[in-house]
Amino acid sequence: MTVTLNHCLGLAAVIFVTGMAGFIVRRNAIVMLMCIELMLSAVNIVFAAFARQHADAGGHVFVLMNFAVAAAEAAIGLAILVEIYRRRRTVDVDELKTLME
Amino acid sequence: MEAFLFWSCGALMVLGGVMMVLQRSAVVAALWLVFAFIAASGVFAVLHAPFLAIMQVLVYAGAIMVLFLFVIMMLQGPVMEGERKRMALPLWPAAAIPPLAVLVLVGAWVSQRTPEPLRTALPDGFGGPRDVAAALLGRYLLAFELISVVLLVAIVGALALGHGERKAS
Repeated sequence: MTVTLNHCLGLAAVIFVTGMAGFIVRRNAIVMLMCIELMLSAVNIVFAAFARQHADAGGHVFVLMNFAVAAAEAAIGLAILVEIYRRRRTVDVDELKTLME
Repeated sequence: MEAFLFWSCGALMVLGGVMMVLQRSAVVAALWLVFAFIAASGVFAVLHAPFLAIMQVLVYAGAIMVLFLFVIMMLQGPVMEGERKRMALPLWPAAAIPPLAVLVLVGAWVSQRTPEPLRTALPDGFGGPRDVAAALLGRYLLAFELISVVLLVAIVGALALGHGERKAS
């Protein structure tokens, strides 16, 4: 069975949904950030698949851009989490509801 | 051969993602995510993107996940293993709606596309460092500069957040 573009899209969708479900279900903010990384990774697969389909390296450039965005998101997100932990002694998002009350 | 590699790497990546979501310990979840990222580099290799495959291991599995692991170990220490909380059970049906909606919508869109096999006639060295660099520093120079700005802002932001409290006291 040859691999079609649709298979790549389907695989990426399954991975994206896994990350999305994890983001909703998990309560640990660090694991939620990791789920975002998984979703970004699923998008990268779509970019690479379309780059190959059109024989255009532009898709690869945007995957590299996504890497940079993921790295920036991890750095800033984790810095914010460290700051929250210093003040509140927790990274559980159920405990962080000051704004809601 | 290509199909076998694609499906095995894809299945391993899905496995890594699912195990990450199910694992209770944050450290073990991070290690499963590293597993998923290495499988993703295999998927990139099958998709004729060797440069991306290498960068995936270097940047994601190497740099980003090490950062995650350091923060997990720094923050939670002994608490980490006891982390068992998940969303309250009555909320689970509501939580299932957005992922299912995405899956159904994307599935409907993909299933009505005519299946086209992946292109095999590719230019020499497609996806290699030379090819990607030519695109990155040529047609997409603006995107390249934007990447630098994004990373610079991230460095400044992370430093400002990390040192905020000490300056105030």
